[in-house]
Amino acid sequence: MIHLAKEDIKHTLGKFLVTAMGVGMLLGIVLIMMGVYRGMMVDAEVLLDDLSVDLWVVQEDTLGPFAESSRIHEDLKYTLKALQGIDKSEAITFQNIQLPRTDKKVRVVAVGFDVYGDIDPINPARLIEGRGLKTDHYEIVVTDKTGFKLHDKIKLGRNTYTVVGVTHGSVSSGGDSLVYISLKDAQELQFSYSNKRIQNDRARGIISKDSHMVNAIIATVKAGYSIDEVAGEIRKWQHKSVYTGAQEKIVLTKNLIEKASKQIGLFTAILVIVSTIIIALIIYTMTLEKMKEISIMKLIGLPNGMIIRMIVEETLLLGFLAFIFGNIFSHLIYSKFPKRVVLEIPDAWMLFGIVVLASIFASFIGVKKVINADPTAAIGG
Amino acid sequence: MSNEQAIKVEGLCKHFGKDDSYVDVIKGASFTINKGELVALVAPSGAGKTTLLMMIGCVEEPSAGKIWLGKEKVYDNKWLTQETRKIRREKIGFIFQAHYLIPFLNIIDNLTLLPQANGTEDKVSKAKARELLTYFDIAEKEKAMPSQLSGGQNQRVAIARALVNNPEIILADEPTAALDMQRSVDVVKMLKKIALEQNVSIIMVTHDDRMLPYCDRIMKIENKAIIIESPEKP
Repeated sequence: MIHLAKEDIKHTLGKFLVTAMGVGMLLGIVLIMMGVYRGMMVDAEVLLDDLSVDLWVVQEDTLGPFAESSRIHEDLKYTLKALQGIDKSEAITFQNIQLPRTDKKVRVVAVGFDVYGDIDPINPARLIEGRGLKTDHYEIVVTDKTGFKLHDKIKLGRNTYTVVGVTHGSVSSGGDSLVYISLKDAQELQFSYSNKRIQNDRARGIISKDSHMVNAIIATVKAGYSIDEVAGEIRKWQHKSVYTGAQEKIVLTKNLIEKASKQIGLFTAILVIVSTIIIALIIYTMTLEKMKEISIMKLIGLPNGMIIRMIVEETLLLGFLAFIFGNIFSHLIYSKFPKRVVLEIPDAWMLFGIVVLASIFASFIGVKKVINADPTAAIGG
Repeated sequence: MSNEQAIKVEGLCKHFGKDDSYVDVIKGASFTINKGELVALVAPSGAGKTTLLMMIGCVEEPSAGKIWLGKEKVYDNKWLTQETRKIRREKIGFIFQAHYLIPFLNIIDNLTLLPQANGTEDKVSKAKARELLTYFDIAEKEKAMPSQLSGGQNQRVAIARALVNNPEIILADEPTAALDMQRSVDVVKMLKKIALEQNVSIIMVTHDDRMLPYCDRIMKIENKAIIIESPEKP
């Protein structure tokens, strides 16, 4: 039995493959966009998952420390420790800094924590080289994406830091690389000014300054205690806001990346629509190019079913090949993106479903053209 | 040639448009063509030759009249069947000015496409196609694509395609228009031979008076009506 679609594709194989590749690249971009969205969701939770704490105590009436600026006294950690149900509590700081590399500055988020404390935010599973922080001063653990290597020296503020460890995959909720420094260094970087600035402040009457501030106090709850109940106890205290780990995740995903993710979602939806239109246009053009042959086939008596089958099969094959090319393309380029791109199999299957539907929709246009084709158009008269 | 009726047309009319744009193309055409006859259809451009051919071929719907293909009445002021395409597929072979072969199918596939659409087995349709290709002396080209054949070879393949379904009728719309004199004569002689050997009725539209002597009868469209004449024999 003659397979019209196969023979037609064989006749114009190069053109068909190039078309499928073109559509595939478009689908690849759709997959990448989905991956960017997934990456944002993963990034948002990396630090929270690495810390794995139950409570976040922050400045009163703020959504700190990620969605809003928060300043709170460091010594609150001791008060918290005394509270029934609290297992561990530590002070932590977050600040955006630029690490000076020889070629350019690298934007990172520095996490400051008590090196001798109970909670270490450095996930040992992410440490690929070196070690964690061991001393209070001038040591830094960087993420491999910053480009710094073990034992590199980095000038920050008035001091030079030595890279003692390199992690992989540590990012802030915004996708910036994370670096880890001691709490003392972090406070110095955040709150200590140059001598001239201090002189200027004194001249203005600003004399005392408490540098023992942090952005949040994090705590874990002892087994057998309800996190919500302990959080409820802390809420009774003045000048503080408390969030559980789960609430902090919501703050991150809802307040910080919701708009960005919606934007990407909308962009992805538009890309899907554009891809559908492009597939439809390609099929329409491919059908138009064959109108003479279609008219002849109808004139000599070939049933519509055979011609329609050719159009539908070609469309589906084009969609399928484009999907394969799209996957190959996205897997080849996703690692080149500066922020995390997470390509997930369910997303690929969802796109496959969309491509199949788009192809069927696109083939309707070709099929309509076939049904309406005038057999006499082949010969005129 | 037998006296058995292959095509019968009675009071066939075709008009286009309405009101101010109303045009009669064929008005009350009546004629009968017997099996094995080669009939030339002659008329000036725009007189309705192709329209008449397309009406007989169940492609264009007439405005009024009756059409019989063989003994079967297919039109009586309306199509008497929903499946006019099936009639074309089973009873009629078409030959055109250009070969109009499907460019993405090789020669043998171009020939077997229609029988396979009719449900003929692949083996049987290929055997018939090869028989025709041998008859037209192009058997060695069965795997070639139409673009690899000369104009004359393609036209022979197109004639073979018209015959592959053992049609009762062949409608040829200026099959020699694109050919030189010698090839045109060859094609018309071939059609005459097919008509005789396979008892097929052929209506051939032509503008070339030199082809008329090879035909059994000449059908002219004059003033929207059909006039039938006998040709001078060569």
